[in-house]
Amino acid sequence: MHSLNLVIIRNSLGQVGFTVIVIVLASAAIEAVLYVALKVILKNKYALPVMLLAPAAVGLIMLVVYPVFYEFKIAFSNMSLRHFKNPSYGLGRGWDNLKLIFTQPVLKQVMFFPLLLRTILWTAIQISFHVSLGLGLAILLNRPMKLRGLYRTILIIPWAIPQVIAALTWRGEFQYQYGFINIMLRDIGLAAIQWKSDPFWNFVAMNITNIWLGVPFMMIILLGGLQSISSEYYEAAEIDGASGWDRFKSITLPMLSPVMAPAVILGTIWTFNNFNIPFFINENELETSDILVTALFRAAFQYNRYGFAAAFAFVIFLVLFIFAVLYMRATGGLKGVYEK
Amino acid sequence: MKKILAVLLGLLIFSSLAMAGGKQEATGQKQTKEAVQKPVSIALWTKEGEADGGLQYVKALADAFTKAHPNVTFEVVNKNVETLREDFQTASLAGSPPDLLWTVSDHAGPFTAADLIQPVGNLFDLSKYVGSALAAVKLNGKAWGVPISNGNQLMLIYNKALIANPPKNTDELMKVGKQLTHGDQYGLVWNQTEPFWLVPWLGGFGGKVFAADGKTPTLDTPQMVATLKFLHDMKYKYKIIPAESDYNGADTLFKEGKAAMIINGDWSLGGYKKVLGDNLGVARIPKVSSTGIWPKPYTSGVFFMIPKDLSGAKLEAVKAFINFTTDKANQLEMVKKLTRLPALKSALDDPLIKNDPILKGSADQMIVGTPMPTVLEMRSNWDAMKPEMQAVLANKKSPEAAAKAMQRAAVASIKAQQ
Repeated sequence: MHSLNLVIIRNSLGQVGFTVIVIVLASAAIEAVLYVALKVILKNKYALPVMLLAPAAVGLIMLVVYPVFYEFKIAFSNMSLRHFKNPSYGLGRGWDNLKLIFTQPVLKQVMFFPLLLRTILWTAIQISFHVSLGLGLAILLNRPMKLRGLYRTILIIPWAIPQVIAALTWRGEFQYQYGFINIMLRDIGLAAIQWKSDPFWNFVAMNITNIWLGVPFMMIILLGGLQSISSEYYEAAEIDGASGWDRFKSITLPMLSPVMAPAVILGTIWTFNNFNIPFFINENELETSDILVTALFRAAFQYNRYGFAAAFAFVIFLVLFIFAVLYMRATGGLKGVYEK
Repeated sequence: MKKILAVLLGLLIFSSLAMAGGKQEATGQKQTKEAVQKPVSIALWTKEGEADGGLQYVKALADAFTKAHPNVTFEVVNKNVETLREDFQTASLAGSPPDLLWTVSDHAGPFTAADLIQPVGNLFDLSKYVGSALAAVKLNGKAWGVPISNGNQLMLIYNKALIANPPKNTDELMKVGKQLTHGDQYGLVWNQTEPFWLVPWLGGFGGKVFAADGKTPTLDTPQMVATLKFLHDMKYKYKIIPAESDYNGADTLFKEGKAAMIINGDWSLGGYKKVLGDNLGVARIPKVSSTGIWPKPYTSGVFFMIPKDLSGAKLEAVKAFINFTTDKANQLEMVKKLTRLPALKSALDDPLIKNDPILKGSADQMIVGTPMPTVLEMRSNWDAMKPEMQAVLANKKSPEAAAKAMQRAAVASIKAQQ
C-alpha cells in the first residue's frame, strides 16, 4: 500500500491543477467581458448582479441544462451498443421508444405500470413513515428537557452519514449468515430471513433502510417549524379549555403546513427518485425491488438501451411534474399560512 | 474599479497565452517519436479484487514496471466485472475512457459491437500465446485482447479437513453433501446469484445456451428445465447449500471452514491456498448422474484490452507494459502468486505447473470445459438467465416457467440491440 507522500500529492495536484486554473481563468474572462459590455459600454444598472450570477449560471448551463437537452436528443434515437457512436435520429425513433415503454417489459420481465405502482407504493410508505415518525420525534424534542441537544444530535446521525455508505452498511447487515438482523432472529428462535433473494423481504429491507435514513430530515424540518409557532397560541387555547388533541389539530398542524408542504413535496420527489437505497440494498438485482429510477439505470447502463432509457427518463419526469403541480394546487402548499 | 478591470484583463490575456501554450505542447507531444521518455500516466482498470490477492499482484506489476521505466506511472483501479463493463462503456461515451483494461474475454462482445476497443493483432506477436486462450477473444477474424491467464473456469474446490475424497457424481454429491450439512456448516456453497454458476450444470444436462449458429438463444429447453430443477432440488430437497448465498457469502463460508466444498473459479485458488494450505483440494465438478456427462464450465481467461483511440506515447507505454506482464518470468510469478494457468506457451511447459497438484486439478477441469461465447448476444443471455435462476432458487417460479421467461427475455433483448 502507498502512503500519502509528497510525490503523490504533487502528481494529483498536477492532474487537477490545470483544470482548476482553466476554470478560474475562464470565470475571470467571463467577468471581464460582462464588465466591459454592461458596465463600461452599456452602463447598465444591473451590471453587478449579472456579474455575480454569471459563473453559477454558466456552471448550471454546462452541468444541468446541456445534459437535459442532450438526453432529449438521445430520446429520439436508436442508440444502443450496436449503434453506440453513430445512432440515427428521428421523430419515428422517439415514437418507437415511447411505444416500447408502455408495451414491452422495461427490464427483462417487469412492465411499466406495475413498476410505476410499486414506485408509488414505495413513496407512499416512505413519506407516511417519515412524516409520522419525524413529527412524533419533533414534538417530543420541542419541549423543555435535559440533554435535548444530545438527543437531537444522536437522532440526526443517520442523515449525516453519506447515503451510499449507510446503504452498503445496511446491506451487509441483511446478509443471510453474518448479518446482525438474522443473527438476532436466530438467537430468539425465529427462522432467518432471505433478505436478498426473497422479493417481499427484499422490498421490506429497502423500506427499513430508507425509513431509518429519512426520518431525521423530516424531524429537523418539522422541529424548525414547531419552534417558530408562538407559544401565545397555545396559551390562549389552554385558557379556552382546548385539549391536547385540539391544540395539535387546530394550532400545530395548520401552523406547520407551510413548512410541511414543501418538505413533503421534496421528500416525495427524493423518495420517488431515490436511487441509492433501492439499488444498493437490492444486491441480487431482483426486478421485483426495482423502482422507476433504478429500472431506468439498468435499462441504460446494464442493458445498454440508451435511446429507450432517455425516453423513459422523460416519462418519469412527466409523472413527477404532474404530481408536483397537483400537490401544490391541492394544498396551496407554497402560499403563506395567512394567505389561505 | 479601473484597477479591478486591469487585473481581470491581465488575467484574460494570461489565460489565452496559457491555453495557446498548452495547445502547442499537445501538438508537440504527438510529433515526438521518443515518446517513451516523456512522463506518461496510465489509468488501468482491473477486475482483480483484493480478497484473492489479484489486485495486489496487478499493483506490484505496475510498480515494478514504473521502477524500470520511471517516466510511466499507473493509476490502478479495481472494479468488479460487471461494473467495469458498464463504467467503461459510459466513460467511452463521455470521451474519457481509461488507457488499459484487465478484464474477462466476454467483454470483447459488447466492446467490439460498440466499437470501443482496438484489435491487437498488429501490435503484438500473438503466436507466443496459447491458442485456446486467444480463441476466446477472436471475433470477426480479429483478436481483441492479449491473454494474461488461461482458464477462468469454475471447478469443485474442497477442504480436505472436512472431506477426504470429492464426490465423483451428483448422486454422491447429494449424499456426501447431506452428511456434511449440519449446524452452521454446509456441504456445498456457490454464488447463487450469477448464471455463470448455472452454465456448467446446463452442459452436464446436455444443454447449450445457443443454437448451432452461435447466436440464437436456446434457453427454453428440457435441458434447461432439468438444470433449474436440479439447482432447486439442491436447495429445497437435499438442502446441501445455504438458503441464500452470494459470491462473498459463499467465499467466506468456505474460507472459515464452514463449507466443505465450493464451486468457484481458478481466480480464487491463490486466496484459498493461503487460507487452507495443504488442506486445499481441487477436482472436477461432479458428473451429472442422470446423463453421465461432466458439467461444462465456461473457459476463457483474463485479457488486456486496449481502448480504440489510445495512441502515441500512451499506446507505446501500454504495449511495453503488456509485453512485460506476459513475459515468462512474470507469468511464472503469477502462477506462484495467484495459482492460475499462464497464457504464454513457454510458461505453460514449466515444471512449476506440471508438479503442482492444484494446477493439475485446475487443468483437468479445463479439459471438459467449453469456450465461453464472446458474441454480444451472450450478454442478452446472461441478463435473461439471471433473474429467472434467482426466482427458481427463491422458490417463486417453476423451472418450466423460468425457462420460458428466459428465452422470451433473451430474444427481446437481442432484438432491442439491433
